[in-house]
Amino acid sequence: MTRTGLVACAGCALLVVGAAYLRDPPWAGQITSGLRPWEKDRRLGTPFRWTAGRASFFVPREARVMTLPMRAGFPGPNGGPVTVSVSVDDRWLADIELGQPEEWVRTPLPLPGHATSRRFRRVDLHVSRTYVGVFILGVQTGEIELDRTR
Amino acid sequence: MHKKMRSPPRRLHANVTPVIKWGARHLVAIVGVCGFAGYLWLFTRSSADEPIRSDGYNYYLYAPSWLIYHDPTLEALAKDWYDGAYPGFSGILRWPGTNRWSNRHPIGVAVLMFPFVIVADLLTRWSNLPRDGFSFYYQHAAALAGLAYFLAGLAVLRRTLSRYFSPAVTLWTLVAITWGTNLFHYAVYDGTFSHAFSFALICALVELTDLWWAQPRRWHAVTLGFVAALIVLTRHTNGLFLLLVPLWHVTAWRQLGGRINELWKRRGAVLAMAAVAAAAAAPQLVLYKATTDRWLVNTYAPHGLGFTFLTPHLFGAFFSTQRGLFFWSPVLLFAVAGMFVARGWARQVLAPSAVVLALNAWLVASWMEWQYGASYGHRAFIDSLGVLAVFLAAFFAWTSEHPRLLPWVAGATTIATALSVVQMIQYWLRVWPVRDITWAQYRSLFLTFP
Repeated sequence: MTRTGLVACAGCALLVVGAAYLRDPPWAGQITSGLRPWEKDRRLGTPFRWTAGRASFFVPREARVMTLPMRAGFPGPNGGPVTVSVSVDDRWLADIELGQPEEWVRTPLPLPGHATSRRFRRVDLHVSRTYVGVFILGVQTGEIELDRTR
Repeated sequence: MHKKMRSPPRRLHANVTPVIKWGARHLVAIVGVCGFAGYLWLFTRSSADEPIRSDGYNYYLYAPSWLIYHDPTLEALAKDWYDGAYPGFSGILRWPGTNRWSNRHPIGVAVLMFPFVIVADLLTRWSNLPRDGFSFYYQHAAALAGLAYFLAGLAVLRRTLSRYFSPAVTLWTLVAITWGTNLFHYAVYDGTFSHAFSFALICALVELTDLWWAQPRRWHAVTLGFVAALIVLTRHTNGLFLLLVPLWHVTAWRQLGGRINELWKRRGAVLAMAAVAAAAAAPQLVLYKATTDRWLVNTYAPHGLGFTFLTPHLFGAFFSTQRGLFFWSPVLLFAVAGMFVARGWARQVLAPSAVVLALNAWLVASWMEWQYGASYGHRAFIDSLGVLAVFLAAFFAWTSEHPRLLPWVAGATTIATALSVVQMIQYWLRVWPVRDITWAQYRSLFLTFP
């Protein structure tokens, strides 16, 4: 085999191995999108992150129930509630209403039982209203609680 | 005349040590490894900002709008991400009269980033990451595109310089331009900004212009037209650099008539160049028309920004502690000296280069926000480094013929380059204020690290 052929073979092999690795990367669980850095609630000391109008994060596939504490932070249009639509791996899961801006809402969400070959499931949030300032703020999200036993 | 100019003096290639030869040949790869290592260090820190931020956000925004939201109006992305608005820092606003989203930055960077964003999008689908335009792969594809274009620009610059200068001069010039200025910073830390892209395009313009005047081929004209369009699409005011094309090798006023004749003789190629440039730039004009109902528009006008041509901040732009080009990149003083001692090919391209550099400097210093916001050094001059490099090389070439000066120039260049690298790392570690640095602040923070 010529040197060019060898390089081409090595390149193809690298591509296949890379693609196999990236289909289910072990670090995906740490990936988030649309979430601002962690802050602490001045009154309660609770850690939270603001979302934008949309946000995404990952949970392990073994998790059966996910509780994501959420708080509106400020009211929706005309003082009404804020709705957060939750989907998992592009399938709608639930709509959660956040009524009082200062109240944390903890809704346990049973995660879909269908099998997945990946280590993590992707959770996407869509917020019904945002606050427009220097940055765009959606809702506050706390630390996720996962139940893997049910 | 041009054939004579194109053949580099062979004696300069004699007595070259293998180390210098190897260095000149592999410098771009070495810079690439350093750039990628710096990038990994910067963006794996827990306190790291996301690569797509500040101006980089505005430049990038078109790419996900086109690829993921299939919407050139920027409406769909705003709806999905921000409930129909854009964050205040972006300065994206609804144009008075049409009520359409107007992004003050043009589409060129997004066009250049697009192949990288396509790969990021495929990987995002493959890895089941959020296909939102701003998740992991998109962030790094956009920033690494800046690094890749910078390396491409450096490779093109090396090609141009090696035709006329010795390997040692070429090597010193490339090292000084890369690390003695803020170019490396804008390729690695702020790779989503326009400057690394503009640097590459101006280097390509210089190379193609030189080739076109020396040995015109059809592809030179077509590629020149395409590069010219990309230059304007990336930063409209860089259209000034296109003056290099008709004026290349013109050394005196009296030659202008002859140059017009030459251009007329090459009218076919000039027409092809203009047609390609017009076609490639047309999407931006169409976008302006759709957004503002005008074909040409100053998108900064609603922000109250413009030029003050009669009162340029020349001292501030060149020498101030806030942003002075020569204060933060003193090695470029040698490029200015190079304009006075340039010989041969560098002398022949001096007049058009000086005209373009002077006009560009006046333009930069006349911008109301002459500090160009938060930045390391004066970022607006990065785009012209591909031209300044020619005269830096000319100075080093002249120095190499004056052995008594050689150690002094080598020492000063090394110190200036090392200082620039140290100050860049200080900026990375957030030691420097991002703007309005005073002499007192500079002195108190000089060579300090957290």
